[in-house]
Amino acid sequence: MWSTAADIAAAVTSGSVSATRVIEAALLRIRENAPLLNSFTAITEERALAAAQEIDLAVTAGKPRGPLAGVPFAVKNLFDIKDVPTLAGSKINREAPPAARDAALIERLEAAGAILVGALNMGEYAYDFTGENVHDGAAHNPHDVERMTGGSSSGSAAAVAGGDVPLSLGSDTNGSIRVPSSLCGLFGLKPTYGRLSRARSFPFVASLDHVGPFARSTRDLALAYDAMQGRDPDDPACADRASEPALALLERGTDGLRIAVAGGYFRCRSAEPLAAIDCIAAALGVNRDIEIPEAERARSAAFIITASEGASLHLDRLRARAKDFDPAVRDRLIAGAMLPASLVVKAQKFRRWYRDAFLKLFDEVDAILAPATPCTAPLIGQDTFMFDEVELPVRANLGLYTQPISFIGLPVVAVPVPLEPLPIGVQIIAAPWREDVALRVAHALEAKGIVAAPRPAL
Amino acid sequence: MKRKVARKKRPAGAKPAKPARAKPVRKRAPPSVRPRASHTIRPERDFVDGLMAASAEALGVTIEPGWRKGVKFNLRLVLDHAARVEAFCLADDAEPAPVFHA
Repeated sequence: MWSTAADIAAAVTSGSVSATRVIEAALLRIRENAPLLNSFTAITEERALAAAQEIDLAVTAGKPRGPLAGVPFAVKNLFDIKDVPTLAGSKINREAPPAARDAALIERLEAAGAILVGALNMGEYAYDFTGENVHDGAAHNPHDVERMTGGSSSGSAAAVAGGDVPLSLGSDTNGSIRVPSSLCGLFGLKPTYGRLSRARSFPFVASLDHVGPFARSTRDLALAYDAMQGRDPDDPACADRASEPALALLERGTDGLRIAVAGGYFRCRSAEPLAAIDCIAAALGVNRDIEIPEAERARSAAFIITASEGASLHLDRLRARAKDFDPAVRDRLIAGAMLPASLVVKAQKFRRWYRDAFLKLFDEVDAILAPATPCTAPLIGQDTFMFDEVELPVRANLGLYTQPISFIGLPVVAVPVPLEPLPIGVQIIAAPWREDVALRVAHALEAKGIVAAPRPAL
Repeated sequence: MKRKVARKKRPAGAKPAKPARAKPVRKRAPPSVRPRASHTIRPERDFVDGLMAASAEALGVTIEPGWRKGVKFNLRLVLDHAARVEAFCLADDAEPAPVFHA
């Protein structure tokens, strides 16, 4: 399943291949890869084949099929799938009744012709950057199955990078789309906070939760993104804002865009992220650094809000069933519950200060480049990594470059730089509601051959 | 042994000595450059142990002996982050952003 979503939709729409054949091929690939990648936790075969048949009938009848006709996709298992329990990576939620209705974004992708083929592995309750899960086992990185995918949208990245599907959905509270995109060599879009509906997805941190797509090309990201936009009263944080399609703007290139590299906190000395940023900056002719004020403190504030809101969400479960949690997640959640409220309020006040300070930068630039992760994929089970000659815990620090950005909801496209032996990502950060700018930059880099989703030797 | 340094006592009722020159009137600095808070979170050993025990009791959460090390590590970590945020001075009218609109 190495075709792009755009190519599949074009082939299905033209009748040169049937949606049923596409889905059968995807299901076969998913089963072949399962022992290697452990990316899926449920396969919705019957439903997928029925949907494919409907698409094929529509093609035969000459009816509209949508821009994603016949494209197989899968979702992180925190999105509700009708008649399937929403695991959110946990053991406890296995006892929940099956969902009564699909998540809003599944409904929107299916309305565009895409076909859901299953649910994907993830870190427990999305409190994870590694992709490890004691209940379902770790998802494995297709570029080296001994290595982490990154998390928490681990299966979402493994399934796309491993060629199971061309498109998947994940969530990103502190970096859970951008970190696995980076470690698995994919394109990932974390839209502006409030842009895409989170309705009928299992929450983590209401203040910071975002949802978005993974793909192997910018065009596929934009196709999915455009299909999912729009108001949704079922998500209180979803903006009252009309769709602003980005696909048609991709070819505009970077002419006229002012781009800078994030300096200071983001200018690390580690070889891989530095090489990736320098490579992209050179390709774009960017020779300007910009200082993001108080980025390290912003990361700390995101850390606090996450710990506290996450703990509040799970407090009843921690009281009654603490032993049923992944121990690493349980310990973090219990600690978060103990944080004094005054400190959390301070973090929320700082958040507004930081947002005001950051947005002033967009008077000077249209896009900012920053590393997505401080390293390439660590080994599964690896506890620490070396960063700027300091040993840091992996679990808490893979998101140190992503947290200061999602903290204020800015849109980001993570693009893969195909370094050897492992890829690494770069964040293209834009002003609120300017996903189109980040996607244009990503598309221009892809056209130049600077960024690409490398095909693993599975 | 440390030497104790005797402080010179001021006679009762005596006014404190005036500074040699009156301090110039200072314009209030913006929050980002105002002085740091005089006190911040100090996640020292006993402090964290005590906070853990009292919070667990207040919250009704049981921490089994085998979990203590992990919970403590994470509590110290989150308190370290909290200290960094707490050290940043904000204006009294700073608004929180719990429901954020970018």
